[in-house]
Amino acid sequence: MTTKELAERLELKSLTRMFEKPVSGVYISDMVSDVIANAKAGNVLVTLQVHNNVIAAANLVDVSAIVLTRGRTLPAEAISLAERAEIPVFSTNMDSWQVATRLYEAGIR
Amino acid sequence: MDGAKPGHRYEMVNVRPGYVIVEHEVFSKQMRSYFSPEAVPPVEEYREGPKIWKFSGMAQSFQFDLCDRTTGQVTKFDDLLGLVPYSGCPADSDVHRLGDLAQAEKIWIYVAITHGPVEGTRQAAWLEKLRILNRYFGERVVTPNKKILILPDYFGLYKEFSHGQILADFGLTAMEG
Repeated sequence: MTTKELAERLELKSLTRMFEKPVSGVYISDMVSDVIANAKAGNVLVTLQVHNNVIAAANLVDVSAIVLTRGRTLPAEAISLAERAEIPVFSTNMDSWQVATRLYEAGIR
Repeated sequence: MDGAKPGHRYEMVNVRPGYVIVEHEVFSKQMRSYFSPEAVPPVEEYREGPKIWKFSGMAQSFQFDLCDRTTGQVTKFDDLLGLVPYSGCPADSDVHRLGDLAQAEKIWIYVAITHGPVEGTRQAAWLEKLRILNRYFGERVVTPNKKILILPDYFGLYKEFSHGQILADFGLTAMEG
């Protein structure tokens, strides 16, 4: 599955331009330090965290996409950074549990 | 547990959750930080000779070591306070200018901030540790042509860092005093 297919399947709202990348796994965390320690390259990061640092951390570990839950959005500066890092960022009104369920149903483990 | 894969040379080991505690000296306004692995972060004011150290802020964070899978050698990173992305620095700073230049070539610059004096970051031992840290994060990247470059703090960021710049969880738990 790719980030584009993921966005279509979960009906996610794009906050950035689309960067189509392969998705391998998911990591759910609201802690920047936890993301650095445990997220894997290619993961979709599901989070409530909207601090600029979440983009920098996601870039450091090379996640394929970020999904912000509960309707969260990013400040313009963070969107610009995500686009430069070519990390697509999506927003959804679902909570992290609902997103996790939908990702599991979509076959992402 | 970490982002390492079987083919990677280094893996993150001995991950220790805790808090980065930032404190300031009441009279001189000097600031310093340390890592506390305690379950309840220490926030009490205390004396150290004629100095009085007062709690300034904290963030959830972690310490870790890196293990070389080929030799079993473990390198400790307990002196690493955190990583500052160039993008978190002021737009007119040298590190930001360098970062912009590098980013155009898909090289992402982060600066390693230490708890100890900046002078120590010029020592060969610290530079060797940075090589290992760069190798570890470099191995995790799968996007073609993308590079992560972690630099020593030759920019003096430690002296003027603000909590939000550092890749730790200041935004979640900060209690600025």
